[in-house]
Amino acid sequence: MSKVVKAKYTADAVDGFTPRTAMEEAARCLLCIDAPCSKGCPAGTDPGKFIRSIRFRNVKGAAETIRENNVLGGSCARVCPYDRLCEEYCSRCGIDKPIQIGKLQRFAVEQEKAHKMKILTAPEKKKADKVACIGSGPASLACAAKLAQAGYQVTIFEAAAKAGGVLTYGITPARLPQHVVDFDIKSVKDLGVKFVFDTKVGEDITVDELKKAGFKAIFVGAGLWDAKIPEIPGKDLKGVTNAIDFLKAARDSKGTFDPGKKVVVIGGGDVAMDCATTAKLLGAENVMVYYRRTLEEAPANMAELQYVTSLGITITTNFAPAELVGDKKVEFAVFNGRDGVSGAKVAVDTVVFAIGQAPEDMTKIAPVKVTEKGTIAANAKGKTNVAGIFAAGDAVNGGKTVVEAVAAGKEAAAEIIGYLAKKEGVK
Amino acid sequence: MAVKKDLSINYLGVNCENPFFLSSSPVGGNYDMVRKAYEAGWGGVFFKTVGIFVADECSPRFDQTNKEGLPWLGFKNMEQISDKPTEKNFEFMYKLKRDYPDKIMVATIMGSCDEEWKQLAKMCDQAGADLIEGNFSCPQMTSHAMGSDVGSTPELVKQYSKAVSSTTKIPFIAKMTPNVTNMILPARAAIEGGAAGVSAINTVKSITNIDFENMTGMPVVNGKSSISGYSGAAVKPIALRFVAQMLQDEVLKNVPISGIGGIETWRDALEFLVLGCRNVQVTTAIMQYGYRIVEDMISGVSHFMDERGYNKLDDFIGSALGNLIPAEELNRDFKIYPNFDHKTCIGCGRCYVSCYDAAHQAIDWDEKKRRPNLNDECVGCHLCLNVCPVQGCITPGEIKWKEGRKPVEIAMKHNYE
Repeated sequence: MSKVVKAKYTADAVDGFTPRTAMEEAARCLLCIDAPCSKGCPAGTDPGKFIRSIRFRNVKGAAETIRENNVLGGSCARVCPYDRLCEEYCSRCGIDKPIQIGKLQRFAVEQEKAHKMKILTAPEKKKADKVACIGSGPASLACAAKLAQAGYQVTIFEAAAKAGGVLTYGITPARLPQHVVDFDIKSVKDLGVKFVFDTKVGEDITVDELKKAGFKAIFVGAGLWDAKIPEIPGKDLKGVTNAIDFLKAARDSKGTFDPGKKVVVIGGGDVAMDCATTAKLLGAENVMVYYRRTLEEAPANMAELQYVTSLGITITTNFAPAELVGDKKVEFAVFNGRDGVSGAKVAVDTVVFAIGQAPEDMTKIAPVKVTEKGTIAANAKGKTNVAGIFAAGDAVNGGKTVVEAVAAGKEAAAEIIGYLAKKEGVK
Repeated sequence: MAVKKDLSINYLGVNCENPFFLSSSPVGGNYDMVRKAYEAGWGGVFFKTVGIFVADECSPRFDQTNKEGLPWLGFKNMEQISDKPTEKNFEFMYKLKRDYPDKIMVATIMGSCDEEWKQLAKMCDQAGADLIEGNFSCPQMTSHAMGSDVGSTPELVKQYSKAVSSTTKIPFIAKMTPNVTNMILPARAAIEGGAAGVSAINTVKSITNIDFENMTGMPVVNGKSSISGYSGAAVKPIALRFVAQMLQDEVLKNVPISGIGGIETWRDALEFLVLGCRNVQVTTAIMQYGYRIVEDMISGVSHFMDERGYNKLDDFIGSALGNLIPAEELNRDFKIYPNFDHKTCIGCGRCYVSCYDAAHQAIDWDEKKRRPNLNDECVGCHLCLNVCPVQGCITPGEIKWKEGRKPVEIAMKHNYE
């Protein structure tokens, strides 16, 4: 009999390090010269430095290294795909297995909280210029923090009731507990960044109105919040939903949400795995993931795939949804095999599509040029075709990792600072 | 069948089933503990030191040093000699000898004057102890008339050795303190006083850690602490040094020495034996792991003997002693260059960092390939080999003779674990 993991919806999927076990792990680190891991982070985090700090018993210094570089260091510690970033570059792979860099980062951030450290600071004397950030996901938060640290007055406009964007609504709490997200966001708030909730730019307030209100630059980090659902028969039946709505309903319910007994999740990314985990942890008896390609092609982290499997969830590959059948409510999901001959018909209560997210109509938010995919056309530094309007994160890159959104948000902040300084000079 | 060799050895006229003993310490302080240790396989016990003085102990009384998450690198204890009534201790020893006649009972004693030493010696006689050890070395006694303050004064060591030796026919072993620069002097004094053997080392006076919460040492006893004895793996090198120096001394070379200090494995024990010790005593590793560790000592030494074709301990005891020579007698005519295996190298650069910052800047670092390359500055110090985390990556390579020196056949180490 296989030992299947039973866990609570809100319980951490993995226990963190204690000071002792963190030291044991840090002692495995080879403290490489010109550490390769430090080159593997899109956001420029320097694990070589913070692990050395842990090794030399300077855990506060470790926390500083992380937080100063990445305002969302706590969240990234939980959701980064380490196995293909820093840990893949780890020299220790040549001996046995990489240092658990993500887990050490989590430890350092937990120590930051335990020691009530206040690492990031903003100048007391603020600059006159105000900047508006649209959305409160990773890109916006990173951008806002950088700007606030430089002395700008930043306001974040968020359509939802809570801050965090995908961190708060798009990931299962087993992987990213809300308190971790909240702690990261607190470090942004502590910099004096203002948050305006339940305010959708483009509907409740327009970019022009923001400009009139004195915002000299606008950053769009609106993310991707339109679900992709394939045009197949039965897609509008009751019981058919998408990852965004499913994960949000689960999180808003604080664990009382009923996912149904038999749940099929369609997709092969981390979001699909989060949906499957959520369904299982909320009490679904049978959770099945169907993915149209092979595991090797699946974008999900190996760690997530393994966690899903450990919960007793099955993953079926090379099957794509063809039809959803039911009388008012979905009863069966029908799949076609990639080989052209296989097929499957599965009894279901709930079908969750987690096959990616699309941008909403970005031109409704800001008058910027968009690509044919609907994402905002911006360069690597966040510049759009409109002077004073910048954009980064999923809304630009079409949906990548949290850490990449953080990196892009930081880049955009630097660009905004340059833009505002130049403007100041012209005056 | 598991390999098992004859590990018996004659020690001061007493036949011991093996050379593995508990040292006089908390690990052997009553009947039940020693019974369990015997049954686990220990050859004998140096029973927890008995005095006329009965100790009044503090709490807590232990601390340990660690490095990179590795605990018990060294261990500090503040316990003194037995806190049980003197008669009770001798009763334990008597019953243990009665019930386990083949196991060796060494009564370790400590007095504060001639009369006490004599009185204790008589009690050893009555209890039927095989041997007596005089504890001249406990560094945390609350009386300065006892312990390492005595052991570092050769006249007192001689005087008390004489007091015991003149009272009983049981062979007397003097236990040395390492808190001296030259152990030969107190050891010779013990022999002059009539001691038949020497054991070394007792614990090293230490402050293991400073506690920033109370601004005192560890362990913290009501906000204060004291200097006390350090033991465990960290002191083994110090113990081996003292033991070797005594065994190389003209006067002491034939005196049976019992080796003590940081022994955890059969290899540690073997190190003392190949220097010339006739047995070893263990405490700290037992405090950390329990009596069961003797199983791997017995098995490990048996396998060593099997590999080398030895049939008894005397076949190899002392076999390394002659190869420890004064620094001025070492051959200094050559250097051995390290060899870097670029295939097993994982590119961490630790060899480069250490060579540059702490040796001779003899490694060039190929940043692109992340590989070390030796240049002409190498002096053959092998710091690189010692920091390399990959087994078999950096190994001793080419032997280079210094200009004008005559090449000869040299013995070198090939296998690093």
